[in-house]
Amino acid sequence: MNLEKIDQLIKDEYAFFLQERNGWSLTTGPQDLELVAHALRVLLHARTTPDFLADYLALVDCQNADGGWSPFSADQESTVWVSAFCGLMLIRGNRLLKHQRLTQSVKKAIDYFLNTQYQDGRWADSRWADLDTTSHPVSFFNVVRALGETHNWGDVRRAWEQGVRFIIDQQSADGGWYDHDFHPSGVEITAHLIQDALVADLVIDNRVSGVRESCAKGAARLSEWQATDGSWDGENVDHTMDCTRSLMVVTRILGDRRGEDIIMRGLRWIIDNKNAQGWGDFPGMETNLERTCDGLDTLLKYKAYRNENPLDVVKLWGYVP
Amino acid sequence: MDPQHWIEACRPEELPPGSRKLVKVNNLEVALFNLEGVIYAIKNRCPHRSGPLIRGFIDRAGRIKCPMHGWRFDLRDGSNERPARATVYQVKVENGLLYLCV
Repeated sequence: MNLEKIDQLIKDEYAFFLQERNGWSLTTGPQDLELVAHALRVLLHARTTPDFLADYLALVDCQNADGGWSPFSADQESTVWVSAFCGLMLIRGNRLLKHQRLTQSVKKAIDYFLNTQYQDGRWADSRWADLDTTSHPVSFFNVVRALGETHNWGDVRRAWEQGVRFIIDQQSADGGWYDHDFHPSGVEITAHLIQDALVADLVIDNRVSGVRESCAKGAARLSEWQATDGSWDGENVDHTMDCTRSLMVVTRILGDRRGEDIIMRGLRWIIDNKNAQGWGDFPGMETNLERTCDGLDTLLKYKAYRNENPLDVVKLWGYVP
Repeated sequence: MDPQHWIEACRPEELPPGSRKLVKVNNLEVALFNLEGVIYAIKNRCPHRSGPLIRGFIDRAGRIKCPMHGWRFDLRDGSNERPARATVYQVKVENGLLYLCV
């Protein structure tokens, strides 16, 4: 894949993303916070976070008293999945912004996740599968650990480890994870779990046994699921982006170069099925901002994936400072 | 039902049994399904994360499963096991055209 072409695509899509700012910025009014978190991730990976402090502070402003966030910024009932995504963007953004209000907000978020975990290690959210939900606070705690945040450190480590074990224990013998209600095909959830929850431990402190094997089996299953045209899950753009990104970070950390062709095929399909501006949920469907953020994120991660230093792409998950 | 809310969607022959069709009426995307001769109409965007229901799987109980994150909705009334409901529309065939009540 020609990196000049990738650079040009990133430039064009980032310009479109900025042009659509009213659709994702909290500085312009209430927003869907899952979309806001997607947008903040683009800013992080485009290295423009310092220009958007007001957006981060606006996210702090809509944090609920319990430390969580609601799916819609004007609401006040916290849910786990979106809280984890927002918390993750704040702690990663604050590495660059170093703002006291963000620091305090991250501590409140840590407490929220410590207070909402179930005894068996899971987190639950009626809008998402338990496994998927659990992967997000674990991902947040991965970055908390990677950055050496000390707030309630012992409790965080315990909660994180319980979450990781809950996920590993539910892996199927074929390497995938499944949820009857939300993810019977297993594709998206498997992609999420290995990249967001599990693989980080291998670059942080190798604390939990079985993580390497679990990630290798999950990555192999993902590879088997890819269609011959390069897509995953019935030409699902979202899930193809998830799988492509997941394999980038997991295979880099595992040191497994066999994933390169699969990643390339996935990326080609994603580019071939782009609209004139942005991406839709399936080929031919109209562009939406969330998928466009995912597309930009995939391109930005691919650029880092192509660098010689294998840690360059891992940085874009926040697992190394 | 106020008759003025019935909007022409397509011709019935464009939607034979077992088929599905996405139509746009009043800037609204509506997914149409013909299940064994009965036509159902549901707002195309899932209330969870706006997944396109036109691409969903239909189970034997007549529920459509969103292709993005698996939420299921009864095509007859839009109901879901969670506190969320998809919008469904009445349909009628009249004078060789299929109408939606929107």
